Amino acid sequence: MDFWFFLEVLIGGLLSGVMYSLVALGFVLIFKASGVFNFAQGAMVLFAALTFVRLVEYGVPMIGAAVLTMIVMVILAIVVERLVLRPLVNQDLIILFMATIGLNYFIEGMAQTVWDSNVHVLDLGIDEYAAFEVGQAFINKFDVMAAGVAGALVLVLSLFFQYTAIGRALRAVADDHQGALSVGIPLRHIWIYVWSTAGLVALVAGLVWGSKLGVQFAISTVALKAIPVLIIGGFTSIPGAIIGGLIVGSGEKLAEVYLGPFVGGAIENWFPYMLAMVVLMIRPQGIFGEKIIERV
Amino acid sequence: MIKSQAMEKINQKKHQVMRIQNVSLSFGGLKALIDVSLEIYQKEILAIIGPNGAGKSCMLNIISGIYTPEEGTVIWKGKKREKVAPHNIAKMGIARTFQNIALFTGMTVLDNILTGRNLLMKRGLFYEAMFLGWARDQEIQHRKKVEEIIDFLEIQAVRKVPVSRLPYGIQKRVELGRALAAEPELLLLDEPMAGMNVEEKEDMCRFVLDVNEQFGTTIILIEHDMGVVMDISDRVAVLDYGRKIADGLPKDVRTDQKVIDAYLGVG
Repeated sequence: MDFWFFLEVLIGGLLSGVMYSLVALGFVLIFKASGVFNFAQGAMVLFAALTFVRLVEYGVPMIGAAVLTMIVMVILAIVVERLVLRPLVNQDLIILFMATIGLNYFIEGMAQTVWDSNVHVLDLGIDEYAAFEVGQAFINKFDVMAAGVAGALVLVLSLFFQYTAIGRALRAVADDHQGALSVGIPLRHIWIYVWSTAGLVALVAGLVWGSKLGVQFAISTVALKAIPVLIIGGFTSIPGAIIGGLIVGSGEKLAEVYLGPFVGGAIENWFPYMLAMVVLMIRPQGIFGEKIIERV
Repeated sequence: MIKSQAMEKINQKKHQVMRIQNVSLSFGGLKALIDVSLEIYQKEILAIIGPNGAGKSCMLNIISGIYTPEEGTVIWKGKKREKVAPHNIAKMGIARTFQNIALFTGMTVLDNILTGRNLLMKRGLFYEAMFLGWARDQEIQHRKKVEEIIDFLEIQAVRKVPVSRLPYGIQKRVELGRALAAEPELLLLDEPMAGMNVEEKEDMCRFVLDVNEQFGTTIILIEHDMGVVMDISDRVAVLDYGRKIADGLPKDVRTDQKVIDAYLGVG
């Protein structure tokens, strides 16, 4: 086995895994604060990317477009809280989950009605194909940049959750609604904060994925790749989303290259799900998930 | 000296914080409270007792504003109180603990108590996100107050431990700490000693008395342990089948025939 080739595949896999983590992060935020699996996260990624790219096409400078898109995502968070979450308060989680499925189709449809359904080129000024050499391995520059962005985002979010009053309030709401209300934390505001933060994560993921694949409908299906990431890393852990992404990314690429030839190839697409299934059997809460203790 | 302090306490008690007038509440066909009136005086420890299903928790929820009575009025600091949103109760200066502990189990003791100061923090999202200037000063200032509460409740040793790992009795203490962190005027304790051993109960009694004495907090508690109730409360109100059957000094309530009958199931 050629060591440099292995290293190249591994690093390529790890870096693409970080891109999955970016999407998974949006799921974790909302799951952490409300216990709801937000099926619409993929649609939010698409919506944010489309909004950004169309604004840029209309001649808005990039920074301005990013700020405007963020404002749109905050408005979306407020609307979702008012029209979807508030009427469903105290309902079973499965009902909220169903609501997010509906929301997913609505946002997808709205994104393409308001903007359009063409493929848009998103050029952030970075060449996707530029690479540099480490020893004898080629490493993609864009992937390294994307990994850097994801790392920074995780760091900021972790600090925010850990060391600010709002972060504390978010964790409090996630743990106990009654207790949170008794110390005067308004649940509604907290939901708006969380969905806005998930909107920010969606924007960043949308930009990274959009400049790699082009901004198009297929971006929203990238969210499906986040599911094995979440199962492996744990639904409630921000670091878990990162580690899960790294495992999925490197696992699928290594499996494709080294196991693929024996089974006829194209295992990259289902390998992560199989990996997730194995994790579910051994450690259902994921690597970093909160331990499930059941009293009988 | 001791006598004058006692006199002072009695005089202050004449000041009403809350007056509940002819309140009734029912759930479907079940009448939880029927025409109940109750005054709450400043700086007193009032115990609400009664057999199971007498309407004690219901009463506590009326006081805290979670339930709005169907009939009757609640007068809070001289003004009629309208319906309040659950997260605004704390803003009125009312803090509480729960019968089944409602702590944030994933967070440390310190963080749990810090959330109690949530309303006292004038937060700015932007400043917070950037860790700038006064956001940090404010955090330090609140931390100081929280450390005082931790000292007061003698839980220094577990400050950084996640609450889920603590024994039940200590969790109850942490929950009291979270309520105290808000510096409330009125503190509601829903069965603060339930499920505790004798030693833990004694500790909790001491803390309740100290809170009342040192911070001048008005305290209302629901409790089943009669020994505890008679020992620490200034006044006892007894509910039975949604009606108030007695209200007075512990020694008088204890010998009240109606109360004895209610507890023994006569009539």
